[in-house]
Amino acid sequence: MGSTKLAVLALALALSGAASGQEKKITLGAAVQLTGRLANTGRYYGDGYQITVDRINQKGGVTVGGTKYQLALRIYDSQSDTNLGVRQYVQLLTQDKVNFLLGPFSSNDALDDSSVAEKYQVPMVQGGGASTQIFSRGYKYVFGTLPPADDYFSSTIKMMGKIDPKPKTVALVAADDSFDVSVANGTRKLLKEAGLELVVDKQFRENNADFSSILSLVKSKGPDVILWAGHEGEALNFIRQAKSLDVNPKLLYSFTVGVPTADFRKALGKDAEYAFGMTPWLPEKELKDDWFGDAEQFAKEYQARFNYPPDYHAASAAADVETFAKAVAAAGTLDPKKVRDEIAKVDFQSLYGHVKFQPNGQISLPQTVIQIQDGKVVPIFAEDFIGKPRYPIPPWSKR
Amino acid sequence: MQLFGQILVNGILLGGLYGLMGLGMGLVWGVLKIVNLAHGALIMLGGYALYFLYTKAGVDPFLGLPLAMLAMFVLGYLLQTLLLNLIVRSAQLNTLLLTFGLDVVFVYLAQLLFTADFRTINPPYAGKNVSLSGVTVPYAQLGAFGVAVLLAALLYLVLDKTRTGRAVRATAQNLVAARLYGVNPKRIYAITFGTGAALAGAAGGLYGIVSQITPYIGVTLTAKSFVIAILGGLDKPLGVIGGGLVLGIAEAMAALYLDPTYTDIISFGLLVLVLVARPAQLLGRA
Repeated sequence: MGSTKLAVLALALALSGAASGQEKKITLGAAVQLTGRLANTGRYYGDGYQITVDRINQKGGVTVGGTKYQLALRIYDSQSDTNLGVRQYVQLLTQDKVNFLLGPFSSNDALDDSSVAEKYQVPMVQGGGASTQIFSRGYKYVFGTLPPADDYFSSTIKMMGKIDPKPKTVALVAADDSFDVSVANGTRKLLKEAGLELVVDKQFRENNADFSSILSLVKSKGPDVILWAGHEGEALNFIRQAKSLDVNPKLLYSFTVGVPTADFRKALGKDAEYAFGMTPWLPEKELKDDWFGDAEQFAKEYQARFNYPPDYHAASAAADVETFAKAVAAAGTLDPKKVRDEIAKVDFQSLYGHVKFQPNGQISLPQTVIQIQDGKVVPIFAEDFIGKPRYPIPPWSKR
Repeated sequence: MQLFGQILVNGILLGGLYGLMGLGMGLVWGVLKIVNLAHGALIMLGGYALYFLYTKAGVDPFLGLPLAMLAMFVLGYLLQTLLLNLIVRSAQLNTLLLTFGLDVVFVYLAQLLFTADFRTINPPYAGKNVSLSGVTVPYAQLGAFGVAVLLAALLYLVLDKTRTGRAVRATAQNLVAARLYGVNPKRIYAITFGTGAALAGAAGGLYGIVSQITPYIGVTLTAKSFVIAILGGLDKPLGVIGGGLVLGIAEAMAALYLDPTYTDIISFGLLVLVLVARPAQLLGRA
């Protein structure tokens, strides 16, 4: 009996030894908003990271200096609490000893969480924070795959210069969080350069639910265009209240978020029609990818697995994981400093677009102007018109 | 001047809904001495109840409101009977802890069951409006305002004229005396909390018509309800509606004439002012 027990024990030991020998792992850590008020967008990051990690592993993992590694994920739910997120990132590095960091959603969170990466000198590639504030602090370990917030409206304003009738006056309404402050600052500059007159310029409190005062003010000024920056829930309220107070821009309105997102369009139903927006990403066949084939296939697999379609947040998250796969392979080591230097040099085609970081760590991608037409997202304008806009948008009374 | 008129109307309409939110909180607070931290979560659940009644069963939101309120009354009655009655006479901290726990449970259950997707109750007339000498009055908001005032008036009448209502007030004023006169406080507490939940449910449904519902709307609404209940006085239904109006108008005016980012400063600034000027308000004996 005793010898049998010993044999079993020895076998178990041998097996576990073999298993741990095989399982060389690179762990990526992140604190993502899986619950709380940002959960609706946060899920793109949790799910986007997971599907990409699984796919890379399925295709053989990552080869580092001749050894095969599998990717692993360690994700905490930050409950949409920025302070909790920061603590979780510290925990990821000090207790869980993850190799590298992925980011949270939203500029406010990325702004704080990236300081943890910089302090511990572990690279973070984050696809959820676009504010230029994140990249203007001289940090070396923070990389971002969302295009700069300052430029969100630049393609829209370019389009306004080429469209007939040409808009002259603009109302700018933006939230007071890091991302939207950055959008508003950039937009003011772009409007000035384009010679457009700013007739309303109002900032609102993040998480604001009532826009009636701002809308009434906008109505009294009768601008040609409304440019709006904030989070999805607020965009929803803005549009619903614009309808109930019969507030119409003379020519068009555009929103930084929401328009490319399926459940936003679903919640608004017909009222979502005609809204302009922008996206750095559309699930197109032309966007080739080493692991997923192309963006269209990625979108299909994502939808099949998670039961909702991806938008650019999910694609940006996928690009973050792929960036690590590329950089670690190129570095041939897991040393954070060397991997950091390789991330700064990456230059590859992905399902998300061309991934290459500027010296400040942020990607540069053009924003395609989109519009909701018959419940679908239609690309309208990139460098020039690529689709037919429904313009000027009809007032609520004529819809 | 026209803009001023519009802002005033916006503020009044919003204030009515605010008042309804504060009504349930004030009632529970006044009678049970419980600061119900799950009040916002009850508002949220009421919103979902009406949302599903409208989208799944096709019931018109304003007709479905009594049904949603009934469901919330039952929930509230059960919560009080099975849980809150166990600790209603213990230290205030216990009731705070329990209602806070309920809030967490409700919010996370809601995300599990309903996901974090945005929901709107969007009947065809939701965005319609009428223009009166240059001032736009949205029907849905006007309807919500009407319902709020109606419910406050009903609550006032019930508390003032019916036997049960008088028992509720008696319990709030002097528990021992009420018991001597044959009032069963546990039953009265359950009815009170159920009514509070039903009022929260109505507010949630109306909120879904004019705004949106997610599992997370509750936190800020609990805070708002708290302010409104204190502004209005805890056991005076019409006063609470008045408190809602004050807050709604103040916020709307501040957004235009000061800065839209100041709305929270206004609401909590008002709270501080009331507490400084009339601290008795908080003790429920104003």
